[in-house]
Amino acid sequence: MNEKQQGIAPLVQVDQLAVTFYTPTGVVHAVRDASFEIMRGQVLGLVGESGCGKSTAAFAIMGYLPGIHRVEGHISFEGRDITEMSASEVRELRGNRIAMVYQDPATSLNPSMRVGPQVEESLQTNLNLSSQQAHERTVRLFESVGLADPANIGRRYPHELSGGMQQRIVIALALACDPDLLIMDEPTTGLDVTTEATILDLVVDLKRRVRAGILFVSHNLGVIARVADRVAVMYAGQVIEQAPVRELFKNTHHPYTAGLLSCVPRPISEDEVTTKLISIPGVVYEASRDDIDACLFASRCPMVQDQCQEEAPEMFNAGNEHESGCFFWNDVQKGLWEKEIPREEIDHEGSLVLTAENLRKFYGRWQRKYLFFGPRVKPPVRALVDADFDVRSGRTLGVVGESGSGKTTMARTVAGLTPRNRGELKLRGEDLAPEVEERNRQQRDALRMVFQNPTASLNPQLPISHTILRSLRKLAGLNRKESRERAAELLQAVGLDPAYLGRLPGELSGGEQQRVALAGAFAGNAEIIIADEAVSSLDVSVQAQVLDLLGKHQREEGTSYIFISHDLGVVRYVSDDIMVLYAGHVAESGPADSVLKPPMHPYTEALLSAAPVPDPDAKPTTIRLPGAVPTLLERFQGCFFAGRCPRKLGPICDQTPPPERVGPDSHDHVIYCHITVEELKAMQQ
Amino acid sequence: MMTNYTITRTDWTAVFRAGGSGIVAIVRTVRNIFTLALRTPAGRIGLPIVLIHLILALLGTWLAPYDALEHHLEHQLEAPSWQFLMGTDVFGRDILSRVMSGAGSIIGISAAGALLGIALGTIVGMGSGYKGGKTDEVVMRIMDGVMSFPSLLMALLVLTSLGKSAVYIILTIGVVFMPPISRVMRSTTLALKTQEFVQSARMRGEPVPYIIFREILPNTWSVLAVELSVRLSYAILLASSLGFLGLGVQPPSPDWGLMISESRRYLVAAPWVALAPAFAVATLIIGVNLLTDGVRQARRLPLKGTHP
Repeated sequence: MNEKQQGIAPLVQVDQLAVTFYTPTGVVHAVRDASFEIMRGQVLGLVGESGCGKSTAAFAIMGYLPGIHRVEGHISFEGRDITEMSASEVRELRGNRIAMVYQDPATSLNPSMRVGPQVEESLQTNLNLSSQQAHERTVRLFESVGLADPANIGRRYPHELSGGMQQRIVIALALACDPDLLIMDEPTTGLDVTTEATILDLVVDLKRRVRAGILFVSHNLGVIARVADRVAVMYAGQVIEQAPVRELFKNTHHPYTAGLLSCVPRPISEDEVTTKLISIPGVVYEASRDDIDACLFASRCPMVQDQCQEEAPEMFNAGNEHESGCFFWNDVQKGLWEKEIPREEIDHEGSLVLTAENLRKFYGRWQRKYLFFGPRVKPPVRALVDADFDVRSGRTLGVVGESGSGKTTMARTVAGLTPRNRGELKLRGEDLAPEVEERNRQQRDALRMVFQNPTASLNPQLPISHTILRSLRKLAGLNRKESRERAAELLQAVGLDPAYLGRLPGELSGGEQQRVALAGAFAGNAEIIIADEAVSSLDVSVQAQVLDLLGKHQREEGTSYIFISHDLGVVRYVSDDIMVLYAGHVAESGPADSVLKPPMHPYTEALLSAAPVPDPDAKPTTIRLPGAVPTLLERFQGCFFAGRCPRKLGPICDQTPPPERVGPDSHDHVIYCHITVEELKAMQQ
Repeated sequence: MMTNYTITRTDWTAVFRAGGSGIVAIVRTVRNIFTLALRTPAGRIGLPIVLIHLILALLGTWLAPYDALEHHLEHQLEAPSWQFLMGTDVFGRDILSRVMSGAGSIIGISAAGALLGIALGTIVGMGSGYKGGKTDEVVMRIMDGVMSFPSLLMALLVLTSLGKSAVYIILTIGVVFMPPISRVMRSTTLALKTQEFVQSARMRGEPVPYIIFREILPNTWSVLAVELSVRLSYAILLASSLGFLGLGVQPPSPDWGLMISESRRYLVAAPWVALAPAFAVATLIIGVNLLTDGVRQARRLPLKGTHP
C-alpha cells in the first residue's frame, strides 16, 4: 500500500510544530518539535508516555487547544495551513473534513439525547440531508461500525449502551460526514481488553474501507502494533523516532523506543517470564522546563555520550523510511535495556494466611415500588457471589477479569472497606470482622492496601510524610522520633530521597507517588498487601519500578499480595496463583502456570486472546467476546458465562450451574465449566 | 532562546503546610491575596475599598474629626460643608464621624457572624456527610427546616426572644448561615470521603474526627474560601438590616443601619443623612465582592511575566 502512495502529497503535514501553554502554574511546553505526515488510507500511530505531548499535537491539528497558548510551526491540511486559518474556516474543517474520537465515549455523547438523533443531527447540519435520508444513512453507519441491530439501536440513550457500544457510536458519529482525517485519541484506553480488541478490529477494518487518514494516539505499544502502518514516537514534546510499524519494532533506532518496548510485560509465550522487566530511570524532561541545546532524553539514556549533552540531535535518516533523533541511532541494540535477570519463581507452597469462604457482597437492597410498600421491583446488585480463595504466605494471588467482574469488590470486602454480606474471612485462623473499624490493631496492620490512583491515595494537602508517619504510629506503634527515622528508611527502600518527606504529593510524579503509597503499605508488618490496579495508571516505564519494589519486599519479608489487574501481562508477571473472576463468580483459579499455559476456561482463553501484543507480526487472535459483563441483578440459572461464551455447549449451559472441575496439572487448579478438562485441553492443541 | 522567568507562584498548599506556625500562614495568605488581587481589574478596585473599610473599622473612632455622640445643637440637619464634610443629623451630630466610628461594629459583627456560621456549618455538614445513612438524613432534614425560614424573620425571632445584644446578633447570623453552609460542606465531604486517602486513613484505624478534620477538611479550603466571601457580604447586609429594624446596636451608638432608619423622616429635607451610611454599606459589600472575585479570577490566570 505504501508503494502505491509514494509521490502522492500527504493529507496532513505537520512541520516543526510547537505548542506552548501559559497556565496559572507556569509555562508548559507541551509540544516542542513535532514533524510527521499522515497519508490517506494510512494509520499513523503516535505513541509515548503521558506528558509527552501526543494529545496536544492531535488537538493542534483540530485547531482545538484550551486556554492561553501559542502555536508555532505549520500544520498543512491538503496544502492549506491550519495555523493561519480563521476560526470559522477551522470550524468548517472540523465539522466536515476532520473528525475526532475521544478517550471517554460516555462524555462524547449527549446523555439526554437518543444516540440515533445525535448522528442524524450531525448529518443534517453538515451535509444538508433530509431527516429521512439522515436516518437511513445513520442505520448504514451503525451497521458499518459493527453494532448489532443497527435499525433499532438509535432509539437508545447512551447510558443504555455498554462502553464498547458507546465507542462504536462515537466512531459512527466521527465517520458520519466522510471525514478525510480521523483523529483517535486513546480510543480504547478506558475500555476492557475484550472490548478493546473488538474496537481495534474495527479500526483495522475501517482503514481498509474508508479513504481517510487516521491519526491514532495511544500510550500502549501493543495497541499501536495492532493498528498502525507508521509510528511516530514522542518524548518530551518531540518526535524522536518515526518509521513504518514493522521497521520500528524490529530495528529500533532510538534508546527511548527500545526502552519502552522492553518495559512491556509480554503476554503468554513460553520464555518471556524469565526476563526481568526494565524501567527507564528518572522522569520525562518536564514540560515546564525550557528547551536546551542537548538531547532531552540524555539524562535517562543508558548510552549517553558527551555529544548528547552539548547539542540537540536532529532527525537522522536511517533508511527504510526510518528516522531517528539519536546521534548514535546505529548503535541501538535490542538488548540495550534488558538485563536478563530472571524473575525468581517461588516454589514453596507457603502457609495459609488468609482464607475466604463463600464471600458475598450485594450492593443495595431490594427496592420496593412505593419506598417501603408495594411489590419488590429492583433487586440488589450481586457484585460478588460466594467466592472461595486462599492466600498463602510469600505468594502472590493475581486476580483478573473485566470491569464489573467483582475484582475491586473482592478487594474492598477483604480490606473491610465495604462490609461483606455473608461468608467467612479468616486471617491465620482468626475471624476478620466485616468492617475495618471493628478489626483490632494487629489485623489492621496485617492487611494493607495500595490503590489504583496514586494521586488520590495521598492527601493532596498534606506532606507525603503524613501517610507514612501515621501508619508507623498507628500500626507499628512507634513513637514520634522512631517513626521519623523509620520513615526515612522506608523512603530509601522504595528508591526515593528522604528529603521528599516534606514535599506535597502534587510535587511528585505518578510513579513517585505510588512508591510513597507503597512505603506506607510497607510501614507496618503487613502480611498481605492488596494491590488494586496498583500499576494500571502508571506509565509502562515506571510500572516496572513499582513491580520490582513489590517483588523485592516479598522476597525479603515474605509478604503475600493480592494483586488485582485487568492487564493479564502484568498479572502473569507477578502472580504465583491466579484467580479469574467473571460477573462476581470465580471462573477458574489455581497456580499461574496451570491457569494460563495453556488457558483452559473459555473466559480465560478469551481474555488472553484479547490482550494486545507489542509485535506487529503477531497473528491476530480470533476469539472475541461481544458485549460486556451483564448487570448482575438476577441469579444465573445456568453458567454465569453462558451469555457470552464462545464455546457454549448448548442448553445445558443455560440451565445448570457449571460443575467444579480439577485441572490436569494441579489439584489446586479449579475450573467451573460444563466442558470436561480433557476437551478443554484438546481445544488448545 | 527563551528568557528564564522567575516564577512567583501562589502556592496555596504551601500556606497550609505552614499550618503549625499560624502567623506565618496568615502573613503568607494576606500577601497572596494582595498579589493575586492586584492582578485583575476587579481586585485592583476591590482591594483598596476593603482596605479603607478595614482601617476605618480598626481606627475609625480615633480618625473621626468629632466625637460620634457629640451634639452640635446649633448645626442641626446641616448640609455638607467644610466644617461638617457630610453634614449633620437632627441632633447636630457629625455624620462623617458617625459613619467612621460605626464601621467597627458592623464589620466586626458581620465577620464574626459569618465565621461562626461557617464553623457551625462545617462541623454539622462534614459530620453528617461523613457519617451518612440515617443520621445524615435526619440532620439534613432539620437543616432544611431551619433553612425554610426567611433569614431576616429567623433573626427577628431570635433577637426579640433573647434580647438585643451584639453577641446575640453574631449568634443569630451564625445560626441562620449554618444550614446552607452545612449543605455545601456535606456534598464536598461526600465527594471526598470516597477518595483513596480517606480509605487508607480508615484502614490505618484513624478515629472519625481525625479523618474529618485532619484528612478531609484541608481539602475543602477552596470551597470554604468561596463560602466565606459570599457569606461575608450577606452578613453585612443582614447586620445592617437588623440595625435598620432597630434590633442591632442600640442608639445612640453609631450604626449604619440604624442611621439610615433614623434619617427616614428627613429624607427629602436632608438626604445626606441617609446617603452617607447607605454609601458606606454599599461600598463595603461591593468592595468585598470585587476583591473575592478578583482573587478567584487571578488564580486562573497565567503566571505574571510568562505571557508573551
